[in-house]
Amino acid sequence: MALINLLFFPGFTFLFMCALFFEWLDRRIIARFQERVGPPWFQPLADFIKLLAKEDIVPSGAHAKAAALLPMFSLTAVLTAGLYVPVGNVVTASFEGDLIVVLFLLSLPALGYFLAGWTSVGVYSLIGGHRSLLQYFSYEVPFLMAVASPAILSGSWRIASIAAYQSQTTWGALMQPLGFILAIIGLIGKLKRDPLDIPKAKSEVVAGSLTDFSGRKIALWHLSIYIQTVVGIFLLVNLFLGGSSHQSLFVALPIFGLKALGILILLSMISVLYARLRIDQLANLGWRVLAPLALIQLLVTIWSGG
Amino acid sequence: MSNVKFNLEALLAAWQRAFPKLKLTMETLPLDEVVVAFPPEYLVPAVCVLTEQFNVRHLSTITGDDTGEGIALLYHFWSGSGLTLRTRLPYDALHIPSLTGIIPGAVFYEREAAEMLGVIFEGHPAPQPLLMPDDWEGEHPLRASAEDR
Amino acid sequence: MNRITVPIGPQHPLLKEPMAFQLTVEGESVIESTLRLGYVHRGIERLCQERTYVQNIHLVERVCGICSHVHTTTYCQGVEALLGLEVPLRGLYLRTLLCELERIHSHLLWLGVLARNIGFDTIFMYAWRDREIVLDIMEDLSGGRVSHAVNVIGGVRIDLTEEHRDTILSQLDLLDKQVAHLLGIVEHERSLKARTQNIGHLSLEDVRRYCVVGPVARASGLNVDLRRDRPPPPYDRLTFTVPVHEDGDVWARTWVRMRETVESVRLCRQILTLLPDGPVAARARRRVPAGEVISRSEAPRGEVIYYIRSDGSDIPARVKIRTPTLTSLITLPTQLEGVNMADVSVVLAGVDLCIACADR
Repeated sequence: MALINLLFFPGFTFLFMCALFFEWLDRRIIARFQERVGPPWFQPLADFIKLLAKEDIVPSGAHAKAAALLPMFSLTAVLTAGLYVPVGNVVTASFEGDLIVVLFLLSLPALGYFLAGWTSVGVYSLIGGHRSLLQYFSYEVPFLMAVASPAILSGSWRIASIAAYQSQTTWGALMQPLGFILAIIGLIGKLKRDPLDIPKAKSEVVAGSLTDFSGRKIALWHLSIYIQTVVGIFLLVNLFLGGSSHQSLFVALPIFGLKALGILILLSMISVLYARLRIDQLANLGWRVLAPLALIQLLVTIWSGG
Repeated sequence: MSNVKFNLEALLAAWQRAFPKLKLTMETLPLDEVVVAFPPEYLVPAVCVLTEQFNVRHLSTITGDDTGEGIALLYHFWSGSGLTLRTRLPYDALHIPSLTGIIPGAVFYEREAAEMLGVIFEGHPAPQPLLMPDDWEGEHPLRASAEDR
Repeated sequence: MNRITVPIGPQHPLLKEPMAFQLTVEGESVIESTLRLGYVHRGIERLCQERTYVQNIHLVERVCGICSHVHTTTYCQGVEALLGLEVPLRGLYLRTLLCELERIHSHLLWLGVLARNIGFDTIFMYAWRDREIVLDIMEDLSGGRVSHAVNVIGGVRIDLTEEHRDTILSQLDLLDKQVAHLLGIVEHERSLKARTQNIGHLSLEDVRRYCVVGPVARASGLNVDLRRDRPPPPYDRLTFTVPVHEDGDVWARTWVRMRETVESVRLCRQILTLLPDGPVAARARRRVPAGEVISRSEAPRGEVIYYIRSDGSDIPARVKIRTPTLTSLITLPTQLEGVNMADVSVVLAGVDLCIACADR
């Protein structure tokens, strides 16, 4: 049973399928907003297979072992995080404090991304790596404070318990709208999506840390980013939208899915609506606006809930 | 560039005052463009009069033209109306002082005339080629004698 | 902090055409920049001296891929002046119609590039979608979307029926609405302003020193436009305003260009309503009498100047072309000094580079 959970549902296969589906839907929604047609449904899978088959080049002077290990490291981190996030009413592994583990695992790809830039030879990678670290410090603190609020409110650091608490009372997004908004912004920063795609801005640093990657490695990088998207969205569904703890799997899963799609559509809309920020503008936003707001939110939660 | 039209008579008079020995020749081209000819050594002082007294500071471009008898340089100005200063350099003395000190915008035009026709602009701050390869060897491409490749 | 040299170009996603920059960067800010041109130098000026006047129309059309029509217009205007040829008014109107359509096309294309460079893909898609309307009009008129081959010496080779005119007018209605929407976005969208204001600043004095022309000069407060200052017919019979802004940054350039687009749509409408009857072209001799001519006109990017010298044969003795991009390229090191690495793309987009023009 554990093996099935690990490999199929809600483990690797399920996350992989979700990643492809979310990627397609994301691209499709953005395309429709921009009055384009968008890709057909199999495009993400086709892209993935094509990249796997492509020649894998490591530029001379780059750290070959690091280049091979870092995408796998990131992928492993986000897949592991996925195991602790309940999907519908299915909980693969759970213990008191698993929220902290998930948050830790979800921030590992940022480290991987920075190291990828640091161990390559190109200047674009180097700048991209620098920027990803700066960005990390800007969004991570408000994000952590924002996701801590529902935990404090429910009195538990276990994701499943937070979701269960919210399904008995009311959604976290309604009780803490500010926290929800901050968590969404933090997630955008984490996923390096528009308008916070600063470390991989095409017109500035080509592809950031990933400029020199190709073939299998870039395929794994992309996969890890999209699985991170899925896990991040699932996490927010549990923390702010009450998860889905219906008895029957066939009711719980569609409800959970709809909530996740809601967040995905929100993310897509935000990426259509704004121009990319500059790194100093993000730092300003993060430390002057988001962090104080998150702190207020946290204090109010502690004061009212504790 | 400015749309304030200069007074042509006053300009000619000012030039005549500044260079009493010089006989100024002026012609009018179609499309209302005025051309005044100067010997090469008078060119920079003439431009100084233009910029300082008449505030005509927009140099549209510098045309280098191999006429077969020498290289003609045409400095096209604009201030509400077109004005061109023409000077002729003989093949054995292709030197002229650079205008970049007075008009920084002349930098690219002088570099281009230099590489295309072999005119040497004295005092140019960065006289490397503009469009041609750095290691270009052979004749200047816009010389009449340049072979077609 | 250690300095690194960041190469931009000859090939880079940010550049649509090959040119090379070496940026010396300290942290994220640019200390100095050097520029190298010539990667698309095609020797057009020399080639012009080996083709006949008629062949040269098609050659100068290929100086620029975006404002191709204004080059042939300036060239033909010069040759016609040398010939002393009276061009029929209908021909001039149609020629101008294409000039203005081209300006709309060029500015919308540019807005797309700017939006792409600041990571605002939605505006990019919208601008290029609306540009499609202009391209359709031009294609219906001339058969070409960007290279029209419309001008001949003595006039144009296209004509327009009543019905066709009404179709274009209705297409312009749609365009009007879309351009107004884009202008609204430029004026009010805060994230766009955050990325373009106070960047790539050029003072009025800088603009004068470097002899800058076109929208870049107008965005720094220099009120010049050859269409108004020396109007070739039929501009003297049309009414339009020349937008000028004082700020001198990339946002001001964006605003000036979008306002110009609005004006151009207005001009197109006037041209179509005032379009006189008559022939579209006069017959021109093949041999051009000896003489010289300086021909200027206002391209989407500013003043284009042609110097043509004829020795009396059917081949020009010298054709000199100065494109407006060259003037704004001189200012780039000034604009780039001290800007954030992330803003380099915005500054480059702001001056509306056309490298093929600059290299010829």
